[in-house]
Amino acid sequence: MAGWEIGFVKPWYLLLLLVIPAVWLLSFKSLSGLGRYRRLVAMSLRTLVLLLIILALSEVQLLQKSKKLTVIYLLDQSQSIPVDQREAMMEYVVRDVAKHRNIDRRDRAGLIVFGREAKIEVPPFDDDIPAVGVLDSFVDLNTDATNMEAALKLAQASFPEDASKRVVVVTDGNENIGDVRTVARMLAENEIGIDGVPIELDARSEIRVEKVAMPVDARKGQPLQTRVVISNDSREGKTVRGRLKLSRQDGSRTVLLNEDPASQLVDLKPGKNVFTFQHQIDQSAVYTFSAEFTPLDPQDDLMTQNNRASTFTHVRGEGRVLLIEDWENQGEFDYLADRLRRMKLEVTVQPSDQLFTSMAELQGYDTVILANVPRSSGSDASTVTNFSDAQIAMLVRNTQQLGCGLIMMGGPNSFGAGGWSNTELEKAMPVDFQIKNAKVQAVGALVLMMHASEMAQGNYWQKVTAREAIKALGPMDYCGLLHWSGTDNWLWGAPRGLVRISGRRKGMLGRLDRMTPGDMPQFDPGMRTALLAFNRCKASVKHMIIISDGDPSPPSRATLIRYKAAKIKVSTVAVGTHGPAGSNILQNIANVTGGKYYQVTNPKALPRIYQREARRVARPLIYEPAGGVTPGIVYPHEVLDGISEPLPRTAGFVMTSVKDNPLVEVAIRSPRPGSPKNATILATWTYGLGRTAVWTTDAGHRWANAWTEWESYDKLFSQLVRWSMRPTGDRGKFTVATNMKDGRVQVIVTALDENDEFLNFLNLSGTAIGPDLETFEVPIRQTAPGRYVGEFPADQQGSYFLNILAPPAAGSKDTRPQTLQAGVSVPYSAEFREQETNQALLTGLAALKPKQGKAGELIIGRMQRGQMSQLLETDTYRPDLAPAISAQDVWPQVMLFCACLFCADVFVRRVTIGFEWLSPLMLKIKERLGGGQVEPDDDGRLSRLRNQKAIISERLDERRSAARFEPQLEEQDALNLDEVLDDVGSAAPAPPPRPSAPSSAPSEEEESYTSRLLKAKKDAWKDKNNE
Amino acid sequence: MKSRPLSTRTQKHRQGGGAAVRQSGGLLFLLIACWGLLGCTNEGPSSGRLELTWGSRGVGKGQLQKPRAMAIDDKDQLYIVDFTGRIQVFSRDGEYLRGWRTPAVKNGKPSGLSFDRAGDLVVADTHYFRVLFYTPEGKLLKERTIGGECGHGPGQFNFVTDAVQDSQDNFYIAEYGEYDRVQKFSPQGEFILQWGGHGEALGQFVRPQNMIIDEQDRLWVADACNHRIQVFDVTQNPPRLVKHWGEFGAAPGKLNYPYDLAFDGRGHLYICEFGNHRVQKFTLDGESLGCWGVGGHKPGELFNPWALVIDRRGRVHILDTYNHRVQRIVL
Repeated sequence: MAGWEIGFVKPWYLLLLLVIPAVWLLSFKSLSGLGRYRRLVAMSLRTLVLLLIILALSEVQLLQKSKKLTVIYLLDQSQSIPVDQREAMMEYVVRDVAKHRNIDRRDRAGLIVFGREAKIEVPPFDDDIPAVGVLDSFVDLNTDATNMEAALKLAQASFPEDASKRVVVVTDGNENIGDVRTVARMLAENEIGIDGVPIELDARSEIRVEKVAMPVDARKGQPLQTRVVISNDSREGKTVRGRLKLSRQDGSRTVLLNEDPASQLVDLKPGKNVFTFQHQIDQSAVYTFSAEFTPLDPQDDLMTQNNRASTFTHVRGEGRVLLIEDWENQGEFDYLADRLRRMKLEVTVQPSDQLFTSMAELQGYDTVILANVPRSSGSDASTVTNFSDAQIAMLVRNTQQLGCGLIMMGGPNSFGAGGWSNTELEKAMPVDFQIKNAKVQAVGALVLMMHASEMAQGNYWQKVTAREAIKALGPMDYCGLLHWSGTDNWLWGAPRGLVRISGRRKGMLGRLDRMTPGDMPQFDPGMRTALLAFNRCKASVKHMIIISDGDPSPPSRATLIRYKAAKIKVSTVAVGTHGPAGSNILQNIANVTGGKYYQVTNPKALPRIYQREARRVARPLIYEPAGGVTPGIVYPHEVLDGISEPLPRTAGFVMTSVKDNPLVEVAIRSPRPGSPKNATILATWTYGLGRTAVWTTDAGHRWANAWTEWESYDKLFSQLVRWSMRPTGDRGKFTVATNMKDGRVQVIVTALDENDEFLNFLNLSGTAIGPDLETFEVPIRQTAPGRYVGEFPADQQGSYFLNILAPPAAGSKDTRPQTLQAGVSVPYSAEFREQETNQALLTGLAALKPKQGKAGELIIGRMQRGQMSQLLETDTYRPDLAPAISAQDVWPQVMLFCACLFCADVFVRRVTIGFEWLSPLMLKIKERLGGGQVEPDDDGRLSRLRNQKAIISERLDERRSAARFEPQLEEQDALNLDEVLDDVGSAAPAPPPRPSAPSSAPSEEEESYTSRLLKAKKDAWKDKNNE
Repeated sequence: MKSRPLSTRTQKHRQGGGAAVRQSGGLLFLLIACWGLLGCTNEGPSSGRLELTWGSRGVGKGQLQKPRAMAIDDKDQLYIVDFTGRIQVFSRDGEYLRGWRTPAVKNGKPSGLSFDRAGDLVVADTHYFRVLFYTPEGKLLKERTIGGECGHGPGQFNFVTDAVQDSQDNFYIAEYGEYDRVQKFSPQGEFILQWGGHGEALGQFVRPQNMIIDEQDRLWVADACNHRIQVFDVTQNPPRLVKHWGEFGAAPGKLNYPYDLAFDGRGHLYICEFGNHRVQKFTLDGESLGCWGVGGHKPGELFNPWALVIDRRGRVHILDTYNHRVQRIVL
């Protein structure tokens, strides 16, 4: 077969072929009775069967060689490469593919972009790369590092098997994550060629702010010295003049420390420059100090990303509390904040639309209070805000790893009713935010209708939003999703549509991944389907969310009125692809049914909107009994020291479920509703290194108004806050210093006792949190008397926090381990340190010789729009790589064929085929063709006679078996047969002599047997007659 | 202009189908004929035979990405607009000839194509509330543009679905959304009258997705979301409803989102049903004569087809939208 070859997966089985000659030898004797030709055929078949079994055992394959070539371009989009050159790369790819791709061979082209990670932009396909302005992957690509290893790995995984493979790496070669050389060798082993296109970086001056140095820890009023180190790598040894600004940031407040413009002007000599600033801080907090240098002549600096560096320091003082409140309901907790301040706690109130953005900001606080703040709030798409997953993770890590307190306070926008279900925050709290008790009628029903097909990445965003909504629902809630897939269909639970979340959440999310909604022609049928499902559902709150680009036909008025009558609100989200026209339809649906209308231009707002809308379904979690309830103390918690019953009445609270964990301590509980598990007012537990607490009613704005008049109000809340705060006791004689070098942070702890003697053999353990909020252990070992050292890698830009646990101070009341905190800032990625093209790396990559192919090429030329003819001269589709071989397993077919041959083998050995009919047939044909009578020859007659004899013999056998006891008949027939033969013999040669009689012994035995039988029969008749 | 070779799949079907047609009486013919018949529904009479399938998903030249409207010129060239906003012209056998883009696609893409009596391509630029005119070569005739303003006043539009021209060169432009009506314009593009409205009553529409006009200047409207056909005598003022039929369903004679209409010139009307994934053949009085197509992705199966056209040889070309291809059948 042209282009096909045979291969074996397990070729060592072919040794069994040696058995075949032995089989021949054995068979030759054993099959001798078959006659010459049958034996030959039987032996051939047997050999074939054996051969095929051996082929099947060795897993024979058909291999096809392909001249097709796939080239995947890897474009380095990291920020060390100037933007114009990054953009020119795309043009290079488009033109290179158009020029060199062999259409007849059906060559393929693919495209991968990479920075910190790699993403596939165009999977390999047999067409030109379309010239698009902006690469889609840029939206999510982190370009602050160069990870060539990830790009090569992704390319290797993306190559189709049926073609030769080549990657063309377009980069400056300044790798700062991974090890590309190892992976490149692996690619060469796998017959993948590598071409390199080095990007030449312009040789210009480069200024870098190396670091801002500050003490990690400081005390109030202590004079501080800040040093800023700046390097000037000027090519011509030029002194660069510019402005250096040093600022101090505390939360959202930023203060410029050198406000005088004249004092900002500095001259940078070539090499390192150190500038020192003196200042003092009078308020305890965590401060971030940032230094930024701006050259007066922009030409003096190649990259501006490395012109800024920062560090932070912690100035300790009294217990500090961060109280986060809902920005839509500001002031609800002013009374509480005021009372806490009176109890000598520093309270900072932060509205939820101005949330913290980094862990560093949280380090200044000992407790964070979430005061009736929902996860997502806002009235329209432009104002809706939420706690991002990262911010929630920061809150939780801040408690779990760094020991900060976390208190969640009630109000109708908190806990499950605030959309906090199924978040990391819920895990950190002593109660779950959902009710798993079917007796409590806290059930909502939500239908999601999906139609956002024309929106960019519409399907992706529909899945994201639906996922958020499903996550926000409780286990007893109902959820359904309608989409168009040929008709209006439920994604799960058809025909009912609305099904309980409980136990199905994972399945629902799994189905979501497979959802591909089509272009819904009209809203009405789907809305009527949903209405039927709502009417069958017993939920107390029913809600529907429609996401659409607005072009289906609107629902009928009657349908909308039915929704209104059933008190089902429909919120609509217009994704704004069709301008205002589509929005009017959606706005009308929301207006008539009493839902909310959102017009979204940025799809990133969608998850926030869905979180906000899903909260409506969680309303039944709010418990507001007529006349309120009087909670009672159920456990003498230390928070309640000096507080006794009766407690004041409260008008309501948010129902939760106490976690089934012995660490949870429920201190105050409401007598109603029935299940005590769901009636928690105050509960606490320890979560990691920190303490968390829930207060499910509010602090005196809506429900707990009577509490503000209560004499123990201050005591209760101040004790609650102080109980939760991170250990702020005397740090003793521990000092922590950090030092960063070559991408690693070294932590040095010095431990002294009260008498300034070294503390030895302490068991110190450290945990670090990186900028991505991932935590990792930092081993700390003693290296000298009283000196303990730990080290960890810091390859990401941002702040690293380190928490070191030391044994409790001698004589301290707090038995918790002491926590020593330290931190270090990585101002910018290593990406911005490199200034020259690493051509050596690319030369090395291109020099790697792929297995069975030629080494790659280094493609030199200018990467600039419209001027890349030199680059295009190199044919990246040259056929100098090993041809791809596609293998197809054929052993199952071989086995099938083998089975057929085996049957044939058995057939040949067991069945004799007569060919007597052949001659008469030939004669007849000759007669017909010749047109006259042809006398049959003697042989023909003889064969007919033999046939006749065979037939008669067969009849005789039959009759013999039918009349076994009548040998006379057999004799008679035999005579007849002889007569027939005699008759024929007159016209034919003498018949062959009759076969000699068989040996007498069996005959005698047979006769004696027959005679014995006859005798027995006669005897039997005799006996009968006698009787 | 360089033509794009068809995909392997397309070539395969073309070779198979073509050979079958030529070798009448051969075994291959029988096989292919049986294969073609597989695409027919079990319900009602059906005589469709798949002749050719072409097109592949993509954004390259000659590729299709959710194509939504199709028109055919007097040379049997197919004009197709897809979800990228490109209008591409193909030979009747699927060979790419030329293409261009509409001026703007950010808000949405056109969803209706037809030819006027002068041979210019009429494009319902749905989400820009207007009708565009192009020469067959793709030159935009800006001066002929009708509409462009969103609204419910005369000459304003919501989502434009289709535009056709009568024997007097007047234009009828259908729209849906909030208003669901048909507006009549003079050959110079001046507003003359309007009728319709959103609703289920006769004379009203819910998404009049497509229109065709017959020799007696009767306007046939595919009232998609009412699952029916309405026929108006537009020689009268106001236009008079002269015929209507159709109800929701999957049985022969019933309709499920009729999205496109075509006459075969022999007294038959072909309807492309988006919801039933099929083409149904009717007499002009609404009697079903057969249907072709079932939902699916294999050759001979359709997935939410949006449009159909009939060429000079009477063959039906179906725009198999969600399969990103065109299928040609003989009914």
